Amino acid sequence: MDMVVADNLVKTFPNPDGGEKRAVDALSFSVQEGQIYGLLGPNGAGKTTTLRMLSGLMTPTSGSATLAGYDVERETVEVKRVLGFLTANTGLYQRLTARELLLYFAKLYGLTDQQADQRADSLIDWLRIGDFANLRCGALSTGQKQRVNIARALVPDPPILIMDEPTLGLDVLSNRVILEFIKRERDGGKTIILSTHYLDEAEDMCDKIGLLHDGRLVAEGDLASLQARSGEPRLSSIFLKLIHADEKVEAITR
Amino acid sequence: MSARHRIRTIYWKELIDILRDRRTLVAMIVVPIVLYPLLMLGSVQAVSAQGETLKEEHLVIGTIDEQDRDRLLRMIEADRRALERQRNTMEASGEDSSELPAPLVVDRVVALGTEEALDQSVKTRQVQAGVVFSDHRLIGIQHYGAQVRVMIHADNEEIRSASAARRIDALVGRVNDRMRQARLSAERLPPQFFAPFVVDEVDLSSPPSILGQILPLVLILMTITGAIYPAIDLTAGERERGTLETLMVCPVPVIDLIVGKFLVVTTVAILGAALNLASVTATVYFGGFDQVIARGGESVPFSTMVLILAALVPFAVLMSAIMIAVCSYARTFKEAQNYVTPVILAVLIPGGIAAFPATRLEGIMLVMPVGNMVALTKEMLLGAPIAAWDVALVLLSTTLYAGAAIAIAAGIFGKESVVFADAGSFRSLFARHQFKPIETPPVSMGLLTLALLFPLWFYVQASLSPDEGESAAMLLYSSAWLMGVLFVALPALLLAYRKVNVASALSLRMPSAKYLLGAVLVGSTSWIVTHELAVVQHWFMETPEAVMRSAAQMGEALEAMNPMMVILLIAVVPAICEEILFRGFLLGSLRRWGGRFAAIIASALVFAVFHFFVFKFVLTATLGIVLAYMCWQSRSILPGMIAHFLHNGMQVSNIVAPQWRGWVGLPPSTDEAGAWAHLPLPTLVVGGAMFVIGLGIFRSSTKTTEETAIPVIAEGTSG
Repeated sequence: MDMVVADNLVKTFPNPDGGEKRAVDALSFSVQEGQIYGLLGPNGAGKTTTLRMLSGLMTPTSGSATLAGYDVERETVEVKRVLGFLTANTGLYQRLTARELLLYFAKLYGLTDQQADQRADSLIDWLRIGDFANLRCGALSTGQKQRVNIARALVPDPPILIMDEPTLGLDVLSNRVILEFIKRERDGGKTIILSTHYLDEAEDMCDKIGLLHDGRLVAEGDLASLQARSGEPRLSSIFLKLIHADEKVEAITR
Repeated sequence: MSARHRIRTIYWKELIDILRDRRTLVAMIVVPIVLYPLLMLGSVQAVSAQGETLKEEHLVIGTIDEQDRDRLLRMIEADRRALERQRNTMEASGEDSSELPAPLVVDRVVALGTEEALDQSVKTRQVQAGVVFSDHRLIGIQHYGAQVRVMIHADNEEIRSASAARRIDALVGRVNDRMRQARLSAERLPPQFFAPFVVDEVDLSSPPSILGQILPLVLILMTITGAIYPAIDLTAGERERGTLETLMVCPVPVIDLIVGKFLVVTTVAILGAALNLASVTATVYFGGFDQVIARGGESVPFSTMVLILAALVPFAVLMSAIMIAVCSYARTFKEAQNYVTPVILAVLIPGGIAAFPATRLEGIMLVMPVGNMVALTKEMLLGAPIAAWDVALVLLSTTLYAGAAIAIAAGIFGKESVVFADAGSFRSLFARHQFKPIETPPVSMGLLTLALLFPLWFYVQASLSPDEGESAAMLLYSSAWLMGVLFVALPALLLAYRKVNVASALSLRMPSAKYLLGAVLVGSTSWIVTHELAVVQHWFMETPEAVMRSAAQMGEALEAMNPMMVILLIAVVPAICEEILFRGFLLGSLRRWGGRFAAIIASALVFAVFHFFVFKFVLTATLGIVLAYMCWQSRSILPGMIAHFLHNGMQVSNIVAPQWRGWVGLPPSTDEAGAWAHLPLPTLVVGGAMFVIGLGIFRSSTKTTEETAIPVIAEGTSG
């Protein structure tokens, strides 16, 4: 079953000169239940904009998308109910403790006080947050903050997770914890869209990969099919070959 | 999870969050409790000490020549001795001599040669004042016919020079008094000889009048100060800290987020203002300043402070809503601070006008945002009588403005062009080409339009009062024309700009025949309901003679007009225009926001308030509920238009068919007895049954089921 479907998504932004820039251009893809879909591409490729449209934070200029069958534009509340959203830049409420933060979001998702307590306890235990659960978020390290953020995204136990650079800026240990967690969530049946700069991670994690360049999907498939198509062994070289990066690098350095 | 639970969750989280912030605590607690008493004590003591110093300062006075210098010194010495004698006499007889003026003491008096040199010395502050006598003859009691002019040269912009001039003036006054008394006793004349009349002013102002002028403005500043920081922190601060994105992906309608945040800002504003007020009150009472700030030396009653606190609540509500709306535009703390400054200035203008001593709570001031609250507070403090309707109008208009501000905030907060820097500037919020066509107007658009129309329509109604000497016909023509512009053209333009489907937004649909039948039944009998309500209301709240007289005058004027024109102006135009604005535009914007019950009640209340007539408030609100219900159920404004036309038509039917009162069993006369007579039972039973059947047709609407099954989302949802 396709849990995420993007159909001909377009997003344009106004340029300061009065014109328009196409950040996402006729993007179509789908993600099946229990899959990790890697949305990869260089800076400015349109990954974050795509993820924001899928999560209902941005309205597509044209095209449509559905999450668990709900239309992202017309059924925004339903879409948000089935979605856990996480980015590297997500802030936390500095003056709340990690536990208070989880309880707050649990209640916003409609959990009762008792359910919220149980859910917070289980996430604190599972993500090993216990040591700093009663500290204010402003006092936590980057890795601790990201673990709290993941717990926050998982509070409603959503069937779909959208993760935009979840390991950006983390040390090796924190990185490993989070990647393991993502795999476990996939194995538990969750559908995950993962956007990352770390192509090694993507090779290891993703069941299906979409390569995005200048707002367009230049290639899509599992790692084996991309290798076969490009004749390159590693995702980084596949990507460079597909976007003809060699010519560009040569043009810049000449 | 209900909206109430969500708002409560957001409220408590935000309140805890904001109260844990050191900056909030400093602004809310430390500043009022420590700074205000210090400022007040310090400034009052400084002013008082300066006043005392100036009163006793040894002066340096200039004259032109030595003769004037000697004359002045003799006057000063004579005055000193006279005051000394007076003091001794009073003390000997046990009287209180503390009220006696202090004698003028000079350090020196210098002769400067010319008037130019004298003026120059005053300007350069070498002397504090100059004295020039116009006649060199010594004035004594023997020279009755002579008069000497004493010119005091001073720089009144310089406080010490001005004080010196006042002391010299007082000295001359005392000398004059003594000479007058001596001359009167020499001639054996009583003191009344020179003053057959004595003016004795009786001050009837209430003691806190000075406080009454100042405190409302202080109140504005206290409340704004309390609202600024939390409003910025909970809106722009959320964006700056990166938590806004997290919040916006939660399945919570934006309106709930905004209401929760708004309630926290209001709470903090009220708490802050209450602490400020408590601190000022404590300083005034315990610092012994209550007599300083009150007029006539009487203390400020403590109840006055309680009144101020009561007035704080609606004020804080409005200010918090405005602040939330303004700060929702901002992406950063700094940007929000820049937006807030002009808003404060804009708020101070109506507040300042209302604080003028001559401004009263009347006319346009009743609906002027902020100004009406300041004027109301001032009237309360001054103990002026205030009509209950005026208080209601102030509170209702303030609620409408606050509602509009919250709706605007909900329309802006979390919009992608505000949340994401790359998604465009604020212009994108209003750029027409960015709008996607929508079916119903956003609630922010509905409430904002109504908030703009409210003072405009009030002004139109006030300007078209019959007192202006215009004919009733002219007033009705003007009113109808303006109603068309404001109630129809303006909303239509706004809808077209926002790319809202006008037919859908205004419920311009042809309903099924059963609704038209229902409308005819309701419209032809609703007058029975409003008539009986008016009779019952008359028991509790007697309609004043002036209102009855005015209604009778209007009736006579209508009788003189062409009956068809009366029907057009009284029944057709309001039925079309008011239905388009209140049931089409307003109810349409509320349709997918608050659910059926809340939307109908809110639109009916606004409809009633727009009639600006306390004695018809209940009747108009009832009619508003009926018409809104019909529109909601049929999803068309046509049944409401028909019912409204028939209802209004019945009000003027005696002009077209004077015999109608007899048909329904009412006394033919509309005098006191005729106007408030109950309808006969058969009319009540038949008419009441038709009304109920008519409304029942709308109850059986199948669309209602579909309508209530749709989740309440629309614009109010995140993203």
